[in-house]
Amino acid sequence: MRDVAIVGCGFTQHASKRSEVNIAELVHEAVDDVYKQTGLNYNDIDAITIGNMPSFEGLNYPELWMSDHIYARHKPVLRITTGGTTGGSVCIGAYYQVASGMADTVLAIAFEHQSNGSTTGGLATVGIAEISILALYGMSFDSLRMIMGAGGAAGAASFQAIDYMKRSGATPEDLARVVVSDRRNAAKNWYTHLKMPDLTVEDVLKTPMVAYPLRFGMICPASDGACAMIYTTAEKAKKIVEQPAFVNGVSSVSDEPWMFGIGGGGFANLDPCEQKECRLSARAAFKMAGIDYPHKEIDYAEIYDPFPNQNLMFSERIGLFDENQASKAWQEGRTKLNGDLPINASGGVNATNAIGASAMERVAEAALQVMGKAGDHQVKREVHNAVAHGWGGSVNLITMNVLGDHPRRK
Amino acid sequence: MVKVGIVGYAQSKFEPDRRTSRDSLIYEVTKEVMKNANMRRDDISTFVSATNDFYEGRTISNCFTVETSGSMWHDETKVEMDGAWAILYGAERVLSGHHNVALVWGGSMGSTFEYDQTDVLAVDPTIDRTNFFLNHLTAAAFQMRGYMGKYGVTEEQIAKVAVKNRKNAALNPLVEPKTPNITVKEVLESKMLASPVRELMYAGNCDGVCAVILAAEEQAKKICDNPVWITGIGCDQDSYYLSDRTLFANESAKIAAQRAYKMAGITDPAKELGVVEMSEKFAHEEPILAEAFGICNDGQGIQNLEAGKSDIKGALPINPSGGALGANPLLATGIARVVEVAKQIRGDADGHQVKNKVKKGLAHGQVGLCAQSNIVLIMEGN
Repeated sequence: MRDVAIVGCGFTQHASKRSEVNIAELVHEAVDDVYKQTGLNYNDIDAITIGNMPSFEGLNYPELWMSDHIYARHKPVLRITTGGTTGGSVCIGAYYQVASGMADTVLAIAFEHQSNGSTTGGLATVGIAEISILALYGMSFDSLRMIMGAGGAAGAASFQAIDYMKRSGATPEDLARVVVSDRRNAAKNWYTHLKMPDLTVEDVLKTPMVAYPLRFGMICPASDGACAMIYTTAEKAKKIVEQPAFVNGVSSVSDEPWMFGIGGGGFANLDPCEQKECRLSARAAFKMAGIDYPHKEIDYAEIYDPFPNQNLMFSERIGLFDENQASKAWQEGRTKLNGDLPINASGGVNATNAIGASAMERVAEAALQVMGKAGDHQVKREVHNAVAHGWGGSVNLITMNVLGDHPRRK
Repeated sequence: MVKVGIVGYAQSKFEPDRRTSRDSLIYEVTKEVMKNANMRRDDISTFVSATNDFYEGRTISNCFTVETSGSMWHDETKVEMDGAWAILYGAERVLSGHHNVALVWGGSMGSTFEYDQTDVLAVDPTIDRTNFFLNHLTAAAFQMRGYMGKYGVTEEQIAKVAVKNRKNAALNPLVEPKTPNITVKEVLESKMLASPVRELMYAGNCDGVCAVILAAEEQAKKICDNPVWITGIGCDQDSYYLSDRTLFANESAKIAAQRAYKMAGITDPAKELGVVEMSEKFAHEEPILAEAFGICNDGQGIQNLEAGKSDIKGALPINPSGGALGANPLLATGIARVVEVAKQIRGDADGHQVKNKVKKGLAHGQVGLCAQSNIVLIMEGN
């Protein structure tokens, strides 16, 4: 088995509206940044993996149009899209391209230019709006039923949050604490969207209620932004950077029943905070990485948390904390930049959410911490093993990327 | 390096309207492919699908397919390109050594959406889309004119490609409708889509799902006696802009084929290959691609056809199954090409088996205007 390493991560400035660039130009910025960070150029790249949420910007096959903007001329290009987890899936794709020996050096790109399209309109096709356009393209009655039943992302998250709070005893203050940590950390990270260095729990709890228990101040922003990373073999990586981030475990598992399901149960059969697929995905990725005790061996975590309850829930399901104990760790300050298990030093998805790119940014930020290149938001403790999580699908598709400062044990 | 073998394949019938739901279609085919390889759901370690959000009319088109395709609670992902790329990704997962068996499926329900409209969303949104002039049909018209002008080819000669492939498709029991008596005259009198491209020269879309099971060498030998080995894969993408490309030749397909030949150790494709299955979205793409693959010299694609070399009984049959012109279930088209080559190698092609024994075959998939991005797979028998 070939060892695979990340040698560079590039970003664009994220904001509500990056109207001064079009979609391809935005992506181009991230690609140029990763080339600048690594000193490599397009001649060094053997293959490209790319992805976003195609229906958010109404772009079918965007990689074809932006071929020249990503320097793809006469290179193999593979597009992988899996919704909110797209970035994580693109990273996994880049990993397998190198691990299989089909390519040595791979450029991975994920992006979203949400202001250039309609996220809610796109989500509506899992969620609820763009029915007229869909009807034009043709829609089966089954699809219509699913659309009517799904609700938006906040809808899915709110019943998940209530369920989690009931099960764990977490309070709205616990949820707000995650938001405060993320957005304060974001103030230390150059490209992030919501920088709020002085935010307090009280501030968050004063904002209007959107869907109980989620308040306006707890919900992630919609950002424009892109991320690009370079994956290569262990041998080549050592020539490019002193400390590469080795990719030791990858997995993506889904637990998405047909909306109304065979027998009509569908979603209702699911406990939204049980997250069996997250447990399975984490187990598979840790097994591949040779990590037996994640709560002891993992030094840093990037959790995909557009809604703060998800940070608490997923960190437990991954195995970083005991069941229902995540809030306690946050209260004790263990997850801060100087804590023993820092989470989302980058600011996380709660502060910056260019959806297609978000799950990749989790991997990129975990890689920066392993490489010691996170700058102002570099955590105090040494990071030997880090985990990057991605959430997507309509409720349940989990990508996991486990990184380390050394290749996995053979 | 680990070798990857195809140990099972299945497809639904490819026809304009299957009169069933997507979910049923996916269930049918993924169930069938497991039966074909005599494998159980838990024997499969990773699933790769190929669907498209715009063709499905739903964001995250893989998210509600996991239950029907058997991939729930299994490692699972989606490639949003032609299914041949999903096979590439499935093969990479096996080659990495992390997975032993991969199930790859792809497809769409052409009867439920307007292909021409979804394809408008695939052009440059800043200018081409707003001008509403450039689309897959008008681009193909440029390409066909370019090829005809460069090599003095006539519309009648291009129509002969359509006749050959549509006659072959009539021999394929899994393709509907059948037109065994189609003539050049009929093709030339069919509706004009974008001059000089006519309706019967164009691979319209249809309903269909196609699946394969891939396995690492050691496992493949345990699973079946006659795995078909994937020995070479090459892909390549060109610039988007037609003005930056040579339309009468396909540089990207040429590079993709060269990469695949290099990996498979093929030096003389015309001699070594026994069958070619390509995704020709238009009749004129077949000679262009045949030239790109090095099967004949530049500009000789039509002569190759007229000499009967690419016939089902010819020296190197091209598209004995009918190719994409026979049936084009978007995203399943590339997988179907791979399956057809595998069938020919196993001698399993019901009704359209080629005359000579096939040792090696080439399968091709494409996406984009005038085949902007191409993938070539080389397969071999035992």
